[in-house]
Amino acid sequence: MKSLSWMAISLFIVCLIAAGLLSRVYTVTKIQIEKQKQDGIQKQLSQVLPEAVSFRETIDDTLWLGFDKDNQQIGIVFRTAWQGYAGPIPILVGLGNDTVIRKIYIASAAEGLKETPGLGFKIRETSFLEQFYNKMYKEIQLVKDGGTIHAITASTISSNAVINGIRAGIERFQSNLDGDTNSVQDLQIDTTTGATESDYEK
Amino acid sequence: MRNKKSKRLQYLFNGIILENPILILMIGLCPALATSTTAKDAFGMSVATSFVLICSNIVVSLIRKFVPESVRIPIFIIIISTFVTIVDYTMQAYVPTLYRVLGVFVPLIVVNCMILGRAEAFAYQHNIFDSFLDGLGKAVGFTLVLVIMSIIREYFSTGEIFGFVIGPRFIISQPMLFMIFPPGAFLLIGLLKAFINKFIIKPEPTD
Repeated sequence: MKSLSWMAISLFIVCLIAAGLLSRVYTVTKIQIEKQKQDGIQKQLSQVLPEAVSFRETIDDTLWLGFDKDNQQIGIVFRTAWQGYAGPIPILVGLGNDTVIRKIYIASAAEGLKETPGLGFKIRETSFLEQFYNKMYKEIQLVKDGGTIHAITASTISSNAVINGIRAGIERFQSNLDGDTNSVQDLQIDTTTGATESDYEK
Repeated sequence: MRNKKSKRLQYLFNGIILENPILILMIGLCPALATSTTAKDAFGMSVATSFVLICSNIVVSLIRKFVPESVRIPIFIIIISTFVTIVDYTMQAYVPTLYRVLGVFVPLIVVNCMILGRAEAFAYQHNIFDSFLDGLGKAVGFTLVLVIMSIIREYFSTGEIFGFVIGPRFIISQPMLFMIFPPGAFLLIGLLKAFINKFIIKPEPTD
């Protein structure tokens, strides 16, 4: 009988020590883990919209407004995605108030890019990405469709997905831009449906 | 005395070639196949696994006299999963990029049969120092194979090693893409096993 009770007690003691140790490790690392997550997003945001010094999240993990040091809104950063060859391609786009794209960032494999290494993955190369820098909506198209983008050889689907994703993102979010250059500044966007006030009036 | 010393050296060095966990004992194959796509990831994975293996060997050996035989397996699992969770949190906090690449394979160290296998087969019967040596030897063996595999796979599929471009241009322009996919891993581990059987482990005459 002694061994039977010892069985339960020994298991209990081991569990108790393990639980105590883990709760300690959890509280110590928790702050750092949160900080890493925030830092990661902030770094990407200022990478695609370099003039902005601070960002405010308006739609959770999708849309951020960028502000300069005088707290004037100078542009937006949004996350968009389009079906590529092997899965959706997540793209982060920085758009200035003048509706010109500043920079774009395409997620790495660790962040959810599923394209074929060596083929579709070339959409992450600078030579392809640079084609989008400082371009306007109407220029974001393949050359054969009247735009300025050259698709990557043997990766047409991935290249097209980037173009379509960016176009769809601009169409959806440009009403959040603030500035004299666009006429849609008075529209209020409904964060749940993405519909604008004018949609409700219809 | 001398005999004891040589035995200890044997515990340490057995894990590297003669009892190499992956190529000879054929345990812990899953992470070896899955995380050896680039040398950096493989090295990170090896460090995490080695830490858990050595710590669990020490703790199991430390408490082996108090652990009733009938509940030893649950106790081993609790010890191993505690260390894995510590590694998991620590990696998430201090090396988030590596953590995101390794993803689910960090928590899966819990079910790496190499670790439970050493706890059960070695640490439960040996003293702390011997268990530490055994864990260290197996960890070095595991790390070596993972890093060798990943260097070969990364090189042939991208022309890079640890992210640095090395070697002739034709590998970079026409890489052997399949090496980065699972079939490449299976093929390579088979070739390594064949190599070790042919040249390193000489077949011993049976007594």
